[in-house]
Amino acid sequence: MAKTIMTIDDSASIRQVVGITLKKAGYEVLEACDGKDALNKLTGQKVHLIVCDVNMPNMDGIAFLKTVKQHPAYKFTPIIMLTTESQEAKKQEGKAAGAKAWVVKPFKPEQMLSAVEKLILP
Amino acid sequence: MADDPVIQTFMIECTELLQAMEDALLRLEAAPEDEETINALFRSAHTIKGSSGIVGFENIERFTHKVENVLEQVRSGKIKVDNELIELLLKCRDHIANLIELAEKDTPASASDRTAEEGLLRQLQSYLTSTDKQSNTKINDTAPSQLGSNSPNSLNYPHPSSEPSGSGDGVRTFLHGRDVESGNWHISLRFGEDVLRNGMDPISFINYLTRLGEIVSLTTITDAVPPAAEMDPESCYLGFEIDFKSDFDKQTIEDVFEFVREDCKICILPPRSRIEEYIQLINSLPEAPLKIGEILVRGGALTPHELEEALKIQNAEAVYPSPLEGEGQGEGCSQRKSLIGEIVVDEKMTYPPVVDAAVEKQKKQKEAQAREAKTIRVDTNKLDQLVNLVGELVIANANIIQNAQRLGDIDMIESASTLSRLIEDIRDRAMQARMVPIGESFNRFHRVIRDISREMSKDIELAVSGGETELDKNLTEKINDPLMHLVRNAADHGIEKPDVRISKGKPAKGVIRLNAFNDAGSIVIEISDDGSGLNREKIIEKAVEKGLINSEQTLSDKEIYKLIFAPGFSTAENVTNISGRGVGMDVVRKGISSLRGSIDINSQEGLGTTITLRLPLTLAIIEGLLVKIGGEYFVLTLSSVEECVDLTREDIANSHGRHLANVRGQIVPYIRLREQFMIKGSLPDIEQIVIVRVEGQRVGFVVDHVIGEHQTVLKNLGRIYKDIEGISGATILGDGTVALILDVPRLVQSAEREEVRG
Repeated sequence: MAKTIMTIDDSASIRQVVGITLKKAGYEVLEACDGKDALNKLTGQKVHLIVCDVNMPNMDGIAFLKTVKQHPAYKFTPIIMLTTESQEAKKQEGKAAGAKAWVVKPFKPEQMLSAVEKLILP
Repeated sequence: MADDPVIQTFMIECTELLQAMEDALLRLEAAPEDEETINALFRSAHTIKGSSGIVGFENIERFTHKVENVLEQVRSGKIKVDNELIELLLKCRDHIANLIELAEKDTPASASDRTAEEGLLRQLQSYLTSTDKQSNTKINDTAPSQLGSNSPNSLNYPHPSSEPSGSGDGVRTFLHGRDVESGNWHISLRFGEDVLRNGMDPISFINYLTRLGEIVSLTTITDAVPPAAEMDPESCYLGFEIDFKSDFDKQTIEDVFEFVREDCKICILPPRSRIEEYIQLINSLPEAPLKIGEILVRGGALTPHELEEALKIQNAEAVYPSPLEGEGQGEGCSQRKSLIGEIVVDEKMTYPPVVDAAVEKQKKQKEAQAREAKTIRVDTNKLDQLVNLVGELVIANANIIQNAQRLGDIDMIESASTLSRLIEDIRDRAMQARMVPIGESFNRFHRVIRDISREMSKDIELAVSGGETELDKNLTEKINDPLMHLVRNAADHGIEKPDVRISKGKPAKGVIRLNAFNDAGSIVIEISDDGSGLNREKIIEKAVEKGLINSEQTLSDKEIYKLIFAPGFSTAENVTNISGRGVGMDVVRKGISSLRGSIDINSQEGLGTTITLRLPLTLAIIEGLLVKIGGEYFVLTLSSVEECVDLTREDIANSHGRHLANVRGQIVPYIRLREQFMIKGSLPDIEQIVIVRVEGQRVGFVVDHVIGEHQTVLKNLGRIYKDIEGISGATILGDGTVALILDVPRLVQSAEREEVRG
């Protein structure tokens, strides 16, 4: 059965690019537009990996990361954070909160895919 | 096609490399054995081959590859360089240039081009086949234990580590040609306890590895697993030892673990078969000063992350950790620290031969750097113009500062002073560019001394020291004549004939020393000999005879020695054709003072004479002391000024009408510049006296006001005013006023003459 990846980003175009790339590679994709939306959609849903933007309205990536890590069902779920080079401070904050995998924006679809595949194969 | 920026870069790169090839070939003609030139040639060809492959010009890659093969054999000494080979390689170089040009225009090679290429390839091949039989030994030499011997060509396929081996067929044969063990990577993984909690699954990385190659064997290491009671099921205690077969490079393999790298211990040891490849890559690096770690990273033997780790280890070891010294082979590292090369081998990041190659490379790079002194030749005229302009800049800037101060605008003053600081810097740099070591001038006297020795049957040695002391190029030209006089004088009058020397108990061989050093913003040149020294009595006798002094005068040694500078003075009994016409010392003195220098004599009868010349570092710009008399401005050379004091009436009164002042109990003769230059106007209440040291003697110059230090550009007065006594030039002040530059030694001399007459 195909593994499910949730992509969280407030930019529809990024969700689209990531979505297409991952689907093409054989993953199921679930989309959310911010942290809050993601938490709502996660309830009861099995996901194998989360790709999450840092800067988002309502609930940003770091806050989402902290919350989701406390949830027993998702505490072992690998999370890839999306960041821009200028967000070094954010990155430090994210690392402190337990984020280990980062992909720097702007990225090529293959880069995103290779990061995902290192963590879970489809 | 040529619009592609990558292609454009390639074209530029190739133009440079082809030029380098040509230069190297021409150098080889003169020195066929020169290893560095051969290496340079090889590198150029190697780089052209590599780049043309990457940008997709396969025909260029193919052809250059053949050239490289031949060069590789030349490099290893199997092919001797002769004119025939150089001729062939020059043709090959031209052919590559042609191919590149065709590629740029995107036109296919013509039939004649192809025939030419075939001809060249055949000739190249003839060199290769004749050496084929011996080539195996060399490969075994470099890596005795790991290399199979049945692949003589394998060395000629250096495999760029940055790309997968798709293009490197040669490498594959290379790998398959030997036992499986040595062809495998060895990866040691020790995952951190938190890896699972971080959402990372160790198995996923191992799965991902299979995309890059084949896992030959995998051993799970369970040493770290605690007893069941203490075990935390959320922690990871496992480690893995993996034998992995892959043609990818180290960086790519390391990247698989990028998300766990921080918390895990990962060791990636390349297959032994790669040693040779790393060494080749290291050898083909450009000649730039690199540290050992950097060389290993560039050669693909180490990833940047590994280097970082190794440096951490090194710094942790250091007794006095210093991040600046963290890396480097014997570059001021404390001895207790391991060398970076040792660490990377201990940590199983790479192999000793690879480190050795890097160390060797570093040595070569340093040598190459020392050899290729980075210099360009510049016409002195251009430098003169530059310095002239800088001079104008200094004047213009003085004007700006004056205006800024007059306007009293703080911002303006600040900007002006920033500007003047920069201009000072520019001035210093421009000056520096004109500085040359004096050694060259000194060395030409070897010949002079040799000739004089022959001619006069004396035995004289010239000892030169301080040749590295630098002075203005213009000055070196101008001191040549005075120096020549002095050296000749020393050889002719100073050094005795061998029999005389022996009878005096001195070694038969006389020594003339030329020494130069910097002292307080001037350059000092000493010409000394261990000859007979100056004869007081003879000088006095001669001086009386010439009417320079009268026989009753009592003179100090210094004063006596100075007499030899008088025009027409010579004590030599025989006028030789080397010196002794009595013009020499006079001319020397004039020459030196025209350079704003001073001359000093020290002599001991029977032991020798030392003549000391003191010259400014440069002629173009002087550091002066600006003084004012009436409405006129004058500049004295700052380096000769000792102090400025007020001249009170009392001091003058006590001197009984003679020009002597009492400066803190010391009697100093002085010159009234007001009288000297016949300046009218009323005296200020308190005059000032500038004490100057001239030829070892303190002399005062009485002026109205001392204004202060003034950096200025020397302007010649022009021919009409050339001979005015006591003035050596002029300068323009910030407000456009002209200030005259005083020729202090000449002023003192003329005052002395007056004194003698009076």
